[in-house]
Amino acid sequence: MIDLVIGYTAIQSMAVWARKNDMILHLHRAGNSTYSRQKNHGMNFRVICKWMRMAGVDHIHAGTVVGKLEGDPMMIRGFYDTLLDTHTPMQLEKGLFFEQDWASMNKVMPVASGGIHAGQMHQLLTYLGDDVVLQFGGGTIGHPMGIQAGATANRVALEAMVLARNEGRDIWNEGPQILKDAAKWCSPLKAAIDTWGDISFNFESTDTADFAVTPTASM
Amino acid sequence: MMTNHGNRLTQGQFSYLPDLTDSQITAQIEFALSKSWAIGVEYTDDPHPRNTYWEMYGNPMFDLKDPAGILKEINACRKTFPNHYVRVTAFDSTQGVESVRMSYIVNRPKNEPGFGLARQEIGGRQIQYTVHSYATDKPEGERY
Repeated sequence: MIDLVIGYTAIQSMAVWARKNDMILHLHRAGNSTYSRQKNHGMNFRVICKWMRMAGVDHIHAGTVVGKLEGDPMMIRGFYDTLLDTHTPMQLEKGLFFEQDWASMNKVMPVASGGIHAGQMHQLLTYLGDDVVLQFGGGTIGHPMGIQAGATANRVALEAMVLARNEGRDIWNEGPQILKDAAKWCSPLKAAIDTWGDISFNFESTDTADFAVTPTASM
Repeated sequence: MMTNHGNRLTQGQFSYLPDLTDSQITAQIEFALSKSWAIGVEYTDDPHPRNTYWEMYGNPMFDLKDPAGILKEINACRKTFPNHYVRVTAFDSTQGVESVRMSYIVNRPKNEPGFGLARQEIGGRQIQYTVHSYATDKPEGERY
């Protein structure tokens, strides 16, 4: 695992080293906020996503929308598209100002972590989709029945939610009920929801779209 | 301490849930077909987590678009190998993906003995650890 603060040349060298030594390069984004928070200097995290994909990084922490790593849903979608798509069209609402063809450039797997728990599974799946690494640290180790129970609770919540989503159910609205139903036969999940079910981080994101989609009247 | 009761194999996307019913399997087939993924059926009696390539029960059904027909194929495999692991896979041929997007177990042996921890002594009194499936102590075809 490396951090952005190590520097861009070092990240590229480490990507080469990681490939030679059968390792996956996981990029934690400490340092990001120093240049992406202020609108009047620095750069957006999308630019970092693009550079890191070209540098050969394998994993990158790209925000969670609902956890303690803040993020506007559409901005996060813009990061994810930059990391995962083979072709990104211009989408101003996601902050993508230019069309980009990624040809066969390797993708980067986004990582969601920080203050997320089993009770948010329907929100995580809706916002972040399938191609994401969900890291539940405190949401696993802090489980009242132990770490193994914590891991089981998260896994059951995820599988129950994916199953329901694939069956065509509206997980955004039915999510809490789907989790409650799964908790009936899975006591670790019940304990997890009882512990963290109501916890959420609600603060305004500092990273907002520079462009607002407003319809203009055509004459 | 919590343990994995019955040593249920936890591979694929729905292995922590109770066994899927036929209607649940059909719903997942419909989902895969709606994404234009090709469905395949595979079986094995070697459940080691690194055994990625299971035996294929016929070719992947690239052209079959009927969920009932695919379920029939799955059930034929379950009938032929009632005491093997059987899984359903969905292959996504989209450029940039070109790999399996779904994989879930639809049949398990009646008794799953699980895995043991094997310690191998190597040079300098070091120990290497690995997992070992009790079932594979017996020859292929006689394991479950």
